[in-house]
Amino acid sequence: MSTLSGKNIVKKYGKDTVLKNVDVEIEAGKIYGLIGRNGAGKTTLLSILTAQNPATEGTVTLDGKPVWENEEALSHICYSREISQVTMFGPNTLKVKDYLGTAKAFYANWDEEYAKELIKLFNINPKKRINKLSKGMLSAVTIIVAMASKADITILDEPVAGLDVVAREQFYKLVIDEYAATGRTFVISTHIIEEAASLFEKVIIIDDGQIMIEENTEELLARAYRVSGEETNVDAAVRNFKTYHPESIGRNKVVTVLADEPVDGFDGDVQVEPVPLQNLFYAMCVDGRKEA
Amino acid sequence: MLENLGEDKSIYLQISEMIEDEILRDILREEEQVPSTTELSKFYKINPATAAKGINLLVDKDILYKKRGIGMFVQAGAKEKIMEARKKSFKETYLKKLITEAKLIGITKNDLKRLIDEITD
Repeated sequence: MSTLSGKNIVKKYGKDTVLKNVDVEIEAGKIYGLIGRNGAGKTTLLSILTAQNPATEGTVTLDGKPVWENEEALSHICYSREISQVTMFGPNTLKVKDYLGTAKAFYANWDEEYAKELIKLFNINPKKRINKLSKGMLSAVTIIVAMASKADITILDEPVAGLDVVAREQFYKLVIDEYAATGRTFVISTHIIEEAASLFEKVIIIDDGQIMIEENTEELLARAYRVSGEETNVDAAVRNFKTYHPESIGRNKVVTVLADEPVDGFDGDVQVEPVPLQNLFYAMCVDGRKEA
Repeated sequence: MLENLGEDKSIYLQISEMIEDEILRDILREEEQVPSTTELSKFYKINPATAAKGINLLVDKDILYKKRGIGMFVQAGAKEKIMEARKKSFKETYLKKLITEAKLIGITKNDLKRLIDEITD
């Protein structure tokens, strides 16, 4: 079991700084959720953590050893990203079974039986060509690669994009079953936060190239509140707290509070409710990027 | 058990309350085995650590106990214990809410007493 850690990662594309001094630590045996808006830097971070993309500055290590050009370390990591339907030479006409064959050759612990099971589960025709797959089927293939790789650290970049609700639920169940059986580490980035939040032991929120939150999901939500009521009451109740995204209707106001630690109660006549992860994320990110 | 999880409370608390409810309703009886962390985690598609936190909360309260290598069981006297604890919080969780609403819509103390008699008789 291994810890994957990124220290002080900076990534620049020309003048654009996509990642700004990111520190992140993926501990063994946990399921991580990585959430962030489009362009926040999720995919860049994941590709750097898995040595598919060099960092401009900073280091990525697996149990203290740099992962860059380190075949041994990389054999423990699977990064299953979106499959491209076009190549430099035109449409990607590779058959699914050949694509899976390449993956099989690449991952030392590949589980062929499991892969076959998953092909059936997601109803994929292995003879179909990559460029003829629907968006949902493409996602299913990336899920099959990730799961069957049996890698200690398995990273899935938006695995449920384009999947219908049945396939999405099947995927969540797969992750839980596999995690319960093996204790593999999973890092899953997603935009469908509501559905997946309860899967994540830890959550990483990234915005504008910076890590805003890296915390146990339950602990994070235990210090988040939605406080509403008459405006002056709300303002008084939350005056000592970090707040996000205030909204008003008439004399009423609602605000999202992220306290440093769980609060026993708020003063005055206000309604206090818990905040689901998706709403917290929304509140934290919707008013951001003011400097942009 | 097997109710939907809501968003109004931490998931681990919902898990532990659900098990308590089962014990109160005699669906889970004393000295009976409760669903495992893995079963709960798979059914609800929640992280096993969260399910374990819910179960462990009940172990801390002496409502469940662990049989090594077998699983979690309902402690003798668990039902009594849950009833006592729930009685203590009844005023805070139920009555205060009820009275706030009653005041808001102008139901007097006497109206309230009459209504309670009507329902309970």
